[in-house]
Amino acid sequence: MTVPVWAWIIVLPLITSPLVYFIGHLGKSRGIFAQRTALLALAATWVAFVLAAQDLQLNGISRLMVGSISLKFDGLSLLLAMIAMVLGSFVVVFSGHYLANEDGQEKYYAMLVAMIGVMIGLGCTNDLFNLWIWFEAMAVTSYLLVAFYKDLPTSLEAGIKYLVQSAAGSVLVLLAIGLVVAETGVLNLDEIRQTAESSPALMAAGILFVIGYGVKTALVPLHTWLPDAHSQAPSGISAMLSGIVIEAGLIALLRSLSALSGVTTFWGPLLMGFGILNMVVGNLMALGQAQVKRMLAYSSLVHVGYMLIGLGIAFSMSDVIGAQGGFFHMFTHGLMKGLAFLAAGSMLYTLHISMGDHRPLLFDDLAGAAKRYPWAALTLSIALFSLAGLPPLAGFMSKWQIFVAGVDTHNGWIIAVVAFAALNSVFSLAYYAPLVNAVYRCEPSAIVLSGKRLPAVMKLPLMLMALGIIAIGIWPSLMNWLTEPAGTALLASLGG
Amino acid sequence: MNFSPVNICLLGVTGLVAVGFYGLLTTRNLIKVVIMLQILVKATVLGLITAGNKSGQLYLTQSMAITVIVADTIVAVIGMAFAIQIRRQVGTLDTNDLSSLRG
Repeated sequence: MTVPVWAWIIVLPLITSPLVYFIGHLGKSRGIFAQRTALLALAATWVAFVLAAQDLQLNGISRLMVGSISLKFDGLSLLLAMIAMVLGSFVVVFSGHYLANEDGQEKYYAMLVAMIGVMIGLGCTNDLFNLWIWFEAMAVTSYLLVAFYKDLPTSLEAGIKYLVQSAAGSVLVLLAIGLVVAETGVLNLDEIRQTAESSPALMAAGILFVIGYGVKTALVPLHTWLPDAHSQAPSGISAMLSGIVIEAGLIALLRSLSALSGVTTFWGPLLMGFGILNMVVGNLMALGQAQVKRMLAYSSLVHVGYMLIGLGIAFSMSDVIGAQGGFFHMFTHGLMKGLAFLAAGSMLYTLHISMGDHRPLLFDDLAGAAKRYPWAALTLSIALFSLAGLPPLAGFMSKWQIFVAGVDTHNGWIIAVVAFAALNSVFSLAYYAPLVNAVYRCEPSAIVLSGKRLPAVMKLPLMLMALGIIAIGIWPSLMNWLTEPAGTALLASLGG
Repeated sequence: MNFSPVNICLLGVTGLVAVGFYGLLTTRNLIKVVIMLQILVKATVLGLITAGNKSGQLYLTQSMAITVIVADTIVAVIGMAFAIQIRRQVGTLDTNDLSSLRG
């Protein structure tokens, strides 16, 4: 049996993760050793990734059977792998200084590398039960990373809330898998699609999938763990959680629902309904926040809402533009929200954490920060404006594609939903703009004046991500190689 | 409805899920919360076996059930570890006292 090149992007992070831990244990300065090893592991994975992406373009979708488990590498896998690798690499670079004074850094990097590998695996599976295994492995790594500050009561509280809700959700997914097996007798997603017929049991299975995976995807009202986990985790992990972990939950949900696409036509409207709920609740909750990371966490709910609308259009109309828009937004959201969390994290580091203080970063702390930290302030503002959807930044382009897809359907209901989403996008400026205003137009606060210098290594990922957001905003077709295969893959799995 | 083995098992699954979720919503003790999660997992294990019996794929669902037990043991261990750490840092296992994060 020949192992295809894409299998290496799953295997490499998983086998190097324990190495990161052991090598981190060897040196005196554990963090540096572990960080360098993690970077090497990711560099090797990048090589495999580039080869796999070329292979996908030349030879199309490739499959692999491991025992009775079927894996495949298609556009969706490529998209998830790309977001995980980009964000993961930036986060590893960024975390070096951020965690310099903490215990257990070797565990942090080992878990982070494992989480990247597990998420890539989640994207590549074509088996319902195997999907759950990857999903559970991702959850386990993220529980430990959320509660990284194991001596802080708030961090532990966020960790246990996340664990209980997530575990209850995964039980529902298992019950749904049980129902599917009872009805069809198979686990391979393609075979389920061929055998699944409309039946109450499969309807119930689909709804259980939505609720179970919805906990991780933060569908309102299953989102209550999200603001706590995102605000209490180290900033690099907040960026990973918001930029990729909730999206991985969404991909798992799409894979499972697309196998049941023959059961009912109800899934598309259901996804759009959750999209609307997410936008409204996310916007209203974000508006009242005083903590920067909590505001960003609630804004993740809103952005999941936009993605759900694009993907809901794809489900109900078999519309490839909607699917591409949803996936394009998934990628740009990863960049924008990752940058926003890392930029906020860099300020949190200089103003609080480097002083050994674990208080949350408030809006007021950032008053006048632009005078002392021009680069962090600039990149944070770029991220926030892009999240709000101002042209010519990446966030505008991806939202635009979703809205265009909605209007092109010529369906009154969908046009109304898209118009409502556009209004929500404007509304979101109400909480992004005050932060930019405070950073640029206020006099520096005492805490800013007494802050330490921002290390250059921390600025590097911020600037690269900001450049990426601007470049994608000006040339959105740069990302076609990623979004088109993903859209096609989703449509193919819907039988369209 | 007759009392065939499949129906009795389905009754068991429903009962265990109901007990598990009721317990999750009412209990205030973190250790009990983890136990309730385990009861839910046991319900799904029974459910998987029943599904295998119904569709004639028992060997498949049995191997799934064993995998589920292993995977959820890890979750239970992490849950217990959090509970111990919370007991050390906060001094209580009562979930009512863990409400510093709001809004």
